[in-house]
Amino acid sequence: MTAVAIGRREQLIALSWRSVLSIVRQPSVVVPSLVFPLFFVALGTSSFGRAVNIPGFPVVDSFLDFALAGSVVQGVLFGSVTSATALATDIETGFFDRLLATPSTRAGILVGRLAGAMAYGLAQTLFFTLVLFPFGLSIKSGPIGLLAMMIGGLLTALAVGSVMSTMAIRTGSSEAVQGSFPLIFILLFFSSAFFPRQTMSGVYRYIANVNPISYLVEGFRSLTIESLTLQAVAQTILIPALIAVGGLALSLRSLRRRLAAS
Amino acid sequence: MPPQSSNAPIVARNLVRTFGSGERLIRAVDGVDLEVAAGEVFGFLGPNGAGKSTTVRMLTTLLRPTSGSATVAGFDIVSEADSVRRSIGVALQDAAIDPLMTGMELLKLQAVLYGIARGEQHQRAGDLLERVGLSAAADRRVGTYSGGMRRRLDLALALIHEPTVLFLDEPTTGLDPMSRLALWDEIRRLNNDGTTVLLTTQYLEEADQLADRVAIIDNGRIVRDGRPDELKSEVGAPTLLITVAEHATSAAETVLAQFGESRPTAEGTLGVGLRDGAGEVSAVVRALDALGINVEHLELRAPSLDDVFAEATGHRLEGAS
Amino acid sequence: MSASTGLATRSLRNIRRLPSAFIPALLMPVFQVVSFSGTYAGVTQMPGFPTDRSVNWYLPMAVTMGASFAGLGTGFSMIRDLQTGFYDRLRMAPTTRRQLLLGPYLAAWARALIAVVLVTLVGLALGARPVGSGLGMFGLVLAGVGMATIGTGWGLGLAYRFKDMRAAAIMQLTLFLGLFLTDAQTPIEVMQGWLQTVARWNPLTRVLHVARMGFIDGLGGRDLLIGTLVMAGLAGITWMFALSGLSSLDD
Repeated sequence: MTAVAIGRREQLIALSWRSVLSIVRQPSVVVPSLVFPLFFVALGTSSFGRAVNIPGFPVVDSFLDFALAGSVVQGVLFGSVTSATALATDIETGFFDRLLATPSTRAGILVGRLAGAMAYGLAQTLFFTLVLFPFGLSIKSGPIGLLAMMIGGLLTALAVGSVMSTMAIRTGSSEAVQGSFPLIFILLFFSSAFFPRQTMSGVYRYIANVNPISYLVEGFRSLTIESLTLQAVAQTILIPALIAVGGLALSLRSLRRRLAAS
Repeated sequence: MPPQSSNAPIVARNLVRTFGSGERLIRAVDGVDLEVAAGEVFGFLGPNGAGKSTTVRMLTTLLRPTSGSATVAGFDIVSEADSVRRSIGVALQDAAIDPLMTGMELLKLQAVLYGIARGEQHQRAGDLLERVGLSAAADRRVGTYSGGMRRRLDLALALIHEPTVLFLDEPTTGLDPMSRLALWDEIRRLNNDGTTVLLTTQYLEEADQLADRVAIIDNGRIVRDGRPDELKSEVGAPTLLITVAEHATSAAETVLAQFGESRPTAEGTLGVGLRDGAGEVSAVVRALDALGINVEHLELRAPSLDDVFAEATGHRLEGAS
Repeated sequence: MSASTGLATRSLRNIRRLPSAFIPALLMPVFQVVSFSGTYAGVTQMPGFPTDRSVNWYLPMAVTMGASFAGLGTGFSMIRDLQTGFYDRLRMAPTTRRQLLLGPYLAAWARALIAVVLVTLVGLALGARPVGSGLGMFGLVLAGVGMATIGTGWGLGLAYRFKDMRAAAIMQLTLFLGLFLTDAQTPIEVMQGWLQTVARWNPLTRVLHVARMGFIDGLGGRDLLIGTLVMAGLAGITWMFALSGLSSLDD
């Protein structure tokens, strides 16, 4: 994360808190990012419970164990689109310009705006896991694995949030950001989020193989269905971290351009 | 039981409409009696929320009365709603029209809805567009129309089936003065052709200009009704409006009280109905001068509908000049 | 031209003028058939799965979903008309309330047919192959029109009652849940657990069976009869729901 000078920490916390509130106060955010993923897990567990034995399916105790990773990533993706939409709304209403006029670092303002999504991503990961435990979920990698997943959830929120923020800053339109929602959905569906790549064929398999979401989800999934390995932890944390670094660089550049243009 | 013995085109008897229930019960219309004679332009006056629109919505079959009854064009608004609908034309507040349709399409749809024979639809729509001066814009989407154009189209829509009774709900609210005058002319023309018109308005001048008779509604009840000149002469005394420095306000009030009853006015202005007429103005000024009160502004007004309104309701009408 | 065809004409014309209100509802089922058939291609290997083409299973589901949302589309338009006040004008017209309702229904059927045809073409391109009697198209169209009817009544009824975008959220969510709590993803015999019971009792499962008739072996006249009765029943109930909603606007 970008360094924030001492004395500005309070400001960053205030901005973060504002963005957390803006998430949890909207049912239109909570429903798609918490309820939907759980609904699809419940549906999938019942529909595809017997699919765990088909050729190409990874070795799992239950479809529930398999499905957790997909629902976490789905929930986090949906949640962070919203926070980028909120950023675009800030730009539309001029609130963002007011922030820029304050003596904070640009990166600090951006991360602060995304902090809500990050905290939410971490909380979502924990929430899905806790809700599904009573239904027989098991995390094979143990508490350390779960911790890695929570960090992964946080970083995924930052990654998606920063990429979407680039769009928010460039277009300054909340509608455009919201309009990218279907794209996220498509990206998610043509990955191994809901079913193993190994059972797909043809073009679908090709797309899932090149889709970064597949590898992101599979990191989480390895931590759920296999015992703790360094590779799984690295996959879960490094993939979103790399995307986040790239996304932040892009969004900062857009921000600079926006400031230069105005 | 419908108590209507009258064959006036609009008759309402003790019309009541409430919204909500229990502690939050609102009596939007609280026992309205109305009778509008054939060929009349009837002005229905009142501030926002007084019950004008609710009354009109009941008379035009959009809303069922809670109690009471009414007939329009001789038909009961509840049990013979369909016949009422055939007889009336309505131009609603805000001219609600689908912005995606063109003026011509809207008129033709209206013609279809009113069962006008297929062969006549186009002709009728074209005539009406011509009449309201929208022929050139006939094939443009309504979304591109100006406010005045929308009101004129709205009026044309209300006329598609040549109704005998016309309801106009705040027809000129938000219009520029030119468009307003044009619409007034059109309403007069329709009335001359024999159409009975009920129009609601917050503009006293509009009522004064157009209406043969007015009713003032406040808090869901009709508080005055009659011909505008009668109502004005009932108020009698002209109103003297003065403005004085703020510290002298209460002293000035005491002085004014000697000359007549105080009348509601805009903030910062004092008003008094001069008991003995305009001749007393100089006496008032002398009295104020004697106390060293400096008059900053002075104005004498002949009784207006606004005074009628103020006298009847205890407050002035929003948007009144 | 009757009042209802006049209203339907307007509604269809507005599709062209405001395509953003129609295109997403059309693309959603296309996306569904494309993604489900590919993502869940492996499900046909589950023991007891009645077809070896996943698209044969998911095409009828996508068609049904698309037709339902074509019906809901009229509910969205209704919310717009209620909010602009345009609907007051229609309510003041001396047409029967049935005619006023029938207009949106006609428009919904037309919209649904567009969705059915488009999604079916995409499904066939993806390798869906009708089986048996050749009644494939018939089942799809019947279920499509049926669900469009049900969706319209449900959408209008909710629009009349809430008069704002809350109605849109409720109509989408309920229909979405209703259609997924069926054998949408896998056959009842193949499932495990709670959904098996829910799907068995969910009447919309029977509608899906009508849609699947021409694409899955083992469905026959009995399924057609039950499914048709279910659709007729739900269509009747939702029509009443819409009609009572319309008359509640006077209250």
